[in-house]
This record gives sequence, structure tokens and C-alpha cells, in this order.
Amino acid sequence: MAVVRERGYSHWDGRLTERRFPWGPITRTGIRLAFRKKGFKFAFAGAFLPAFVALGGLYVSERLEDFKSLVQSNRALLEIDPSYFKLFLTSGPVLFTLVLVLVFAGSGLVADDLKHNSLQLYFARPLGKNDYIAGKFSVVAFFVILLTALPWLLLVVFKLIFAGSFAFLLAYPWLPLSIIGYSAFLTAFFGAYVLLLSASSRNTRYVMVLIFGVYYFSAILALFLKSIFRTPYMSLFSIPANLGQAGAAIFGQKLPLAVPAGWSFLVLAGICLLAAVVLNRRVHGVEVIK
Amino acid sequence: MSIEVKDLSFRYGPIVALDGVSMRLGEGAVGLLGPNGAGKSTFLRILLGFLVPERGGGKVLDYDIRRDQARIRRSVGYMPESDCFVAGMDAVTFTAYFGELSGMPRQEAMKRAHEVLYYVGLGEARYRLLDTYSAGMKQRLKLAQALVHDPRILFLDEPTSNLDPTGRAEVLELIRDIATNRSIQVILSSHILDDIESICSSVVILNKGKLAAEGRMDELRAIRYSLYEIRIKGDGEAFRSELESRGCRVEETEDRLIKVYMPEGADRMDLFRAAVRTGVQLRAFVRSRTSLEDLFADVVGVD
Repeated sequence: MAVVRERGYSHWDGRLTERRFPWGPITRTGIRLAFRKKGFKFAFAGAFLPAFVALGGLYVSERLEDFKSLVQSNRALLEIDPSYFKLFLTSGPVLFTLVLVLVFAGSGLVADDLKHNSLQLYFARPLGKNDYIAGKFSVVAFFVILLTALPWLLLVVFKLIFAGSFAFLLAYPWLPLSIIGYSAFLTAFFGAYVLLLSASSRNTRYVMVLIFGVYYFSAILALFLKSIFRTPYMSLFSIPANLGQAGAAIFGQKLPLAVPAGWSFLVLAGICLLAAVVLNRRVHGVEVIK
Repeated sequence: MSIEVKDLSFRYGPIVALDGVSMRLGEGAVGLLGPNGAGKSTFLRILLGFLVPERGGGKVLDYDIRRDQARIRRSVGYMPESDCFVAGMDAVTFTAYFGELSGMPRQEAMKRAHEVLYYVGLGEARYRLLDTYSAGMKQRLKLAQALVHDPRILFLDEPTSNLDPTGRAEVLELIRDIATNRSIQVILSSHILDDIESICSSVVILNKGKLAAEGRMDELRAIRYSLYEIRIKGDGEAFRSELESRGCRVEETEDRLIKVYMPEGADRMDLFRAAVRTGVQLRAFVRSRTSLEDLFADVVGVD
């Protein structure tokens, strides 16, 4: 053990300030810690792959004559309209890579603090419970926005560049808003979903399995129930199906499920509500055992 | 007064943790003493705003403990009892992080983190991952994060728990240095009497959620009883019975030194009278200081 007082103590002559967003350091640190995790950078880079594929599609769609031999049978796929964006944004690969990134970045957000008793350190600072949750939520929000809104808005810009005109934007002026709206919706849902599961256990590995497992198990469960009860309402048990349904509603496309979109919003809002209740119960400066 | 509470009460379900505690704590190092479950940690947690008192209230540095929690937390440092850290961080990042959360500018927090880590003796290990730290190092780290924003009051909850004798001595030396030289008021909660006795000038003793004693250490020692250490030749049992009948508490050490605790107001000549009455010779007679252990045993009601 090192010698005590290698250098003397001195008072700090600065001044403590009240931050507008006191949770800022929590978010910044959460993001930085995510990049230090093994395998995260690989998952993060992989999450941009669908956007690159979509970018390729956009390019080919504007150069159909050059790629005639390649796209003969898939011409319909390369008609770029809002359904193209909706198709990609609600597609399995995009949501899979997003969930994968959140498994790494979000699993330990609350679970690690519970495991290592560090909540009391946070709350010994001028931070409230809402500040703490906002800080952790913003970590998830950062990754969701970075992997959805940002690349897909850039794709709209690329579409305009490849086309060399604003015709596409004039035809679908609401498309950027739909992308932002869907991204905001995904942010709210995944923020609540990840924090809910992260707060439900002290074991980060268990939470990682839960984030991935609950998401895909819900889809399997919905399929199973649908085959038994033969009603489309059973699809509401599936998180991916509900996200797809919500996406279609936001992009103004044909709904993939034969149920009103409001039901899907309701189910996802229910998960968010559950997250709020669980976080409120689990996040305390001190654990009070009654 | 830096801390003032009145009629502070709190219960965990049916268990009363604090029951109408009122006190005023001034400058200097104050020991918060009591057996396990006495309410010491609960008291600190209420002052920090982790728990809301069921009844009563108080002030820390003139800030109300119910309304001005953020201001209180900005002005105090807290070293919790249990091990706590943020996984995946090194000591500098960890300490600077909590400095920032206290309201320090980012660069200042980082600079200050280096300083306090050197101060607590973690200078060489400051870039090591916290997951690899020993119990003693984690204890120092907790002290560093409590000091990083240069608090006016330092709450230390069982700072020497889980430490080996060397580690304990080193942490105590640090706390003593802070308490005596650094114009930071230290509130030291512990059930280890030696820790309190070696650092604090005042003590508050809690027992079963109630205030059992409060005051300056020397005053508390003096007012309760007088301690005499004597050696005798003759029938020790009879002498002991005679003293006990006069209201004294008598203890005998292994080397046959007899400690006589005479209640407040008792006449020391009673000792000699008892000796005459039982026919024993007094071979040594010394007035001694009462220890905190004696005081603690007296107010908490254990031998």
C-alpha cells in the first residue's frame, strides 16, 4: 500500500456551479464506458451496415441504366419513396443491430450501480432521482438517435444529391419529420425498455440476456399464441411487431398487422409506464429494507 | 452551529431507527458513537436527504434538511460504509466524475482528482481499474471522492470497517489530519471506540435510536464518575462488596489492579472507609481518567 499523504492536502479555491443539466456528466461517462466494453466497437460499427446497404440502394436507384443487369428482377425494390425508408427503419436487421448495441451500452447502466452500491455516491451529490434517470436515459437516447435519425436523415440528403434535384423532398416533404418522429419514438421506447431491464437485476450479464431475450422471445410468444388463438391481436405480444406497426403508422404506410395502430402504441406505452414504476422503486440513495 | 436537529424521528416499518433525537453540533471533529443498529447511519442519511424524517427537522450549515438537500449535498462530503465504485473506471476518472457531479468544472475536477488521490495515498494507483483495488484502497478511494469538491463537512460512516490494522491506522491518520489541520468539520460515525477517541473532540452517543449522551469528550468523562485505580492486600471480595454497596462500580484487571468508578458526588474518602471496614490495606491509590469505553458502557448499559 502506498504511503499516506505523498503530497499535502490543499483546499480548492474554485466555485461549485449549478448546471443546467446536472445529469450531463452521467451521460458523457455512460457513453465513454460503453466504448470501453469488449466487442462494443464491433457491434457499433456493424449497426451502420443497414444504412450503408440503403445508401447503395439509393445510388443504384438513380443509376438504373448503369446497373440494368443487376436490378432487372428487383426494380420494384428500388423505387424510392417513404416506404423504402420505412422498410429499412422497421426491418429486422436495423432493429437487431440496434438491440445489439443497446445490449452492450445499456445493460450495466443501472445494474452496475446497484451491484456496486454506487447509487448512494450519486445521491450524495446535488442530484435528484430524475437527474440520475435522465442521465442514464440519455446514454440510450444517444445511441438510438445516432443509429436511426442521423444516418437516415443523411440518406435523404444523399438521395437529393444523387438525384441532383429537390423533387423527392418536394414530393414527400414530411419524410424527414417521419424519420425524426420514428427515431424519437424508438428512443423513448428503448430508453424505457433498457432501463427497465437494467434496473431489474444487479447482474449485468443477466440483463444482457434479458434485453436480447425478452425482445425476441416476445416475437416467438406472439407467433405461438397467434397459431393457437388465430387472432391478429396476439401479435401485440411481440415487441418487434409493435415497433413495425408504429413505424408504419408514423410513415403513413399500410399497417403490417390487422389491428389498429393505437393498440401497438398502447402496448409500448405500457412498457414505458412499467419502466417508470420499476425505476422509481429501484433507484434510491439508500436501500431501505422494511 | 454547523448541524442542528430537533426531535428527529425515523422508522423502518415497525423498527424505530431514530426516536426524537435533538442535538447541536459545533466545530471540530465529532464522533457519532453507538452499537450496531443504534441509528448512526440513519442519522447521516437523513442529514444527506436520502431518508425523509418521519418527524422533526434540522439544519446543516443553515440549510434545511427537508428543503435544501441539494445545497447541503454540495457542501458536504460523504464516505459511505459499504464498498461502492463504478465498474470499468480508474480512480482518476471516478474521483473527477463525482467532482463534476458536485458542480466542479470538468478540467478543475480532473486536476483536483489527481491532488486528492495523492493525498489519500493512491497517487501511484490512480490509473488502475477500480475492479482490481483492494479493500484498503477502496476505502481510501471513498475518502478521495468525498474530499474532491473540498466540502465544509465530511460525513464518514464506519471509515475503518473491513481494514487490517495497518490500513486502519493509515486511514485514521488521514482523517485526523483532515480534522485537525484542514478546517473541514468531520462527523465520524463508528462503533469502534478507539477510532472516535483518537480523533474526535466531541462525541454523540446514540442507543436504540435515542440520544444517550452528547458533549465534549473531556466533559463527558468528567461529569459521570471519577475513576480510581488501586491495589490492595487482603480480602478483595469483601472490599468489593462494600464499595458496591456504596454505589461504586468495581472492575479488576488481570494484574489485580482494581478500577473503582465512583458516582458523581461520591466522596473518595469512602474508599478508605471501606478499606478500614473490611480490613484491607491500600497499597496504591491513583486517580485515573475515564475512557470512552467506560462512558459508552455506562450510557449504553453494557459491561
